[in-house]
Amino acid sequence: MNSFKRWGIATAGTLAAALALTACGGGSGTPTQSSSPAAASSSAASPAELTFWGWAPGYSDSVKAFNASQSDIVVKFEEIQPGSRGGYEKMLNAVQAGNAACLGQVGYETLTSFAAQGALEDVSQFANANQSEYVDFAWNSVKVGDAVYGAPVDTGPMALFYNKELFEKYDVEVPTTWVEYKAAAEKLQAADAKIKISSPYANYDYAGLSWQAGAPWFNIEGDSWKVSVDSDENKKVADYWQSLVDADTIASAPMYDPAWFKGLGDGSIATLVGAVWQAGVIKGDAADGKGKWAVAPMPQWDAANPSVGNVGGSATAVLKGCETPEAAWKFANYLSTDADSYGNLIEKGALYPAAKALLELPQLTNEDAYFSNQKIFDVFKEEALRVNPEWTWGPNMPLTTTKLDDGLNKSWAGNGKMADALTEANTATVENMTSQGINVTD
Amino acid sequence: MSVVSQIRPPLRKPRTKGRPAHTAAMLVAPFAVFFVAMYLAPLGFAIYRSLFVLKRDGLGLSAPTMVFDPFTNYLKAFSDPVFIESLGRVLLFGVVQVPVMLGLATALALLIDSRSARAKGFFRLTSFLPYAVPGVIAALMWSFLYSGSSSPINALLEPLGVVIPFLSEDMVLWSVANIVTWGWTGYNMIIIYSALQSIPGEILEAAKIDGASAWKIAWNIKIPMVRPALILTTVFSIIGTAQLYNEPKVLQSVSGGSIDSAFTPIMAAQAATAAQNYPYAAATSVILAVLVGILSITFFKITNRGSDS
Repeated sequence: MNSFKRWGIATAGTLAAALALTACGGGSGTPTQSSSPAAASSSAASPAELTFWGWAPGYSDSVKAFNASQSDIVVKFEEIQPGSRGGYEKMLNAVQAGNAACLGQVGYETLTSFAAQGALEDVSQFANANQSEYVDFAWNSVKVGDAVYGAPVDTGPMALFYNKELFEKYDVEVPTTWVEYKAAAEKLQAADAKIKISSPYANYDYAGLSWQAGAPWFNIEGDSWKVSVDSDENKKVADYWQSLVDADTIASAPMYDPAWFKGLGDGSIATLVGAVWQAGVIKGDAADGKGKWAVAPMPQWDAANPSVGNVGGSATAVLKGCETPEAAWKFANYLSTDADSYGNLIEKGALYPAAKALLELPQLTNEDAYFSNQKIFDVFKEEALRVNPEWTWGPNMPLTTTKLDDGLNKSWAGNGKMADALTEANTATVENMTSQGINVTD
Repeated sequence: MSVVSQIRPPLRKPRTKGRPAHTAAMLVAPFAVFFVAMYLAPLGFAIYRSLFVLKRDGLGLSAPTMVFDPFTNYLKAFSDPVFIESLGRVLLFGVVQVPVMLGLATALALLIDSRSARAKGFFRLTSFLPYAVPGVIAALMWSFLYSGSSSPINALLEPLGVVIPFLSEDMVLWSVANIVTWGWTGYNMIIIYSALQSIPGEILEAAKIDGASAWKIAWNIKIPMVRPALILTTVFSIIGTAQLYNEPKVLQSVSGGSIDSAFTPIMAAQAATAAQNYPYAAATSVILAVLVGILSITFFKITNRGSDS
């Protein structure tokens, strides 16, 4: 019995340690201070001090550069967990507790939901003067109604990532329209049944496809919302992808899954319709694809009137309770527009600027070995200017995207119709909004 | 899924001086503080929050107000087909998986406990090992074994013309059950095995002398005598089933939609939390807790009545 006891105790200890480890893994991390404020120069008035919560690589360098560049404002950068991994929760909780930082990194898709929690401060009185410095749709992304909640930092204009080697091997033209895209899918499939044109798109990656098609999900009309997730325009997009599923030209591997990266690398997934930052994602995790992939403009619905979607991108938002909103705006604007600081952000985090002047940065003309030395940002520069400015995010995106994904994932697997997934997401969204007393028009 | 707390109150040296009551209070204090702070307070807060509903107006672009409305969330939950379906799913899961797992655990414990068993320590350790793998890691491992494009099981079966659709809508619940059974059989086996150890040797000896076969001894003596352990493991398993989350959540992304955001009641509550509807999430959690409480107490009552007669 003694050996059993000892063994039991040892096991219990191992278990406790394992549990503790898993518990830590799930929790939101404690912020680590990545930079200390630069020594303030000895000007007469004491400088305004404010804190900035973010996670993008390179932000701490930008903060240091900003503090060194002037003496009126001292920004303290605290690195937090990325938003979806606890960062947003931290911000919302801190706003409720009244001890939030002045500025926070908030994704565009989440910004309206933040506004709906009363977690943001309107800085339009300081910000509107700088509006012309930004790409139109990016500016729209930080605006809800007339309120401006922060400065857009980066955008995610979309393009077509494609496996050039495959397209050349089977003599398939790179598609410029969605009709050609489907033809390419069938041609590749006929050449080798293992080759799928793409993989399932969910939530915000799927939203980019609707965005391009001029099929908004939400709109504000006067004092009420219009929810149009299942509009005719949206059904057109859904039916198109449904037809690709029905033709068995979509891979089963969900995006960002190891199986997806494997498919991108080994030539069984031929394209990815995605945002500029996907370049970094596939370079990092589908290393086998090096030298095979290339970037082309996003396929069009109407070649005569090209339009492009956007996925991702984030703002430096002013959180509720900030006592120095003007200083906060000054820093936010600097972070988004200063050429030296932004060059560093491109190199460290592959951010794509939301400020017009920065689209000419030398860092955006580099050749990329992964893409056989193509200057991929040349493509994205064209695409960024074509991004459809008409897009508004809803007041509760987690709810909408959760319901949408429930249906879409089934449809991508061949069980159910995408158009039905849109209807279900639309119904659930409207039900949620009206039950809370939010105005919704038909 | 963890049902047994791993926290132990810190050990203190026994104090010989001082009043016993004082000492007792000192000893209980750490537990009491943790119990109140980590259990009663959140529970009370969840019940309190579930009595409110979120109200907004206009575009809803400012913080919502909380309005006291004690029944709305509960009525909504009971008329929410998604939530009811998730309850039904875990009930079906429990009715099948718990007896299978405990049957396996009992059989294993009896085998290792039997006189003729060899290498007891080795078998005890190996059957317990899966429990030492954290639930999420285990689920990740199984998701690789199940997933269509990477499954080595299906890769082996393919030449035979057989492909098991582990993640299809009809099978996915049982694929989850398999993970849970794999992870928890050893844990339950250890509890039953330790109960077997406490059976007095004389009883077994007497039965042997009376000519009882090993099978008879197991069925008529050992199993009845480890009844309390079986009841305990059943109640743990009922609670664990109600809290099903890790395994389906990990499989969700590769399940091709077979596992939706409200596959289990806890997943449904978590989705409501993500959608910023804390009061509704609290209400569904309270309902789940009450149902599990009723189920566990009923089970205790039924099994106790049996032992009295």
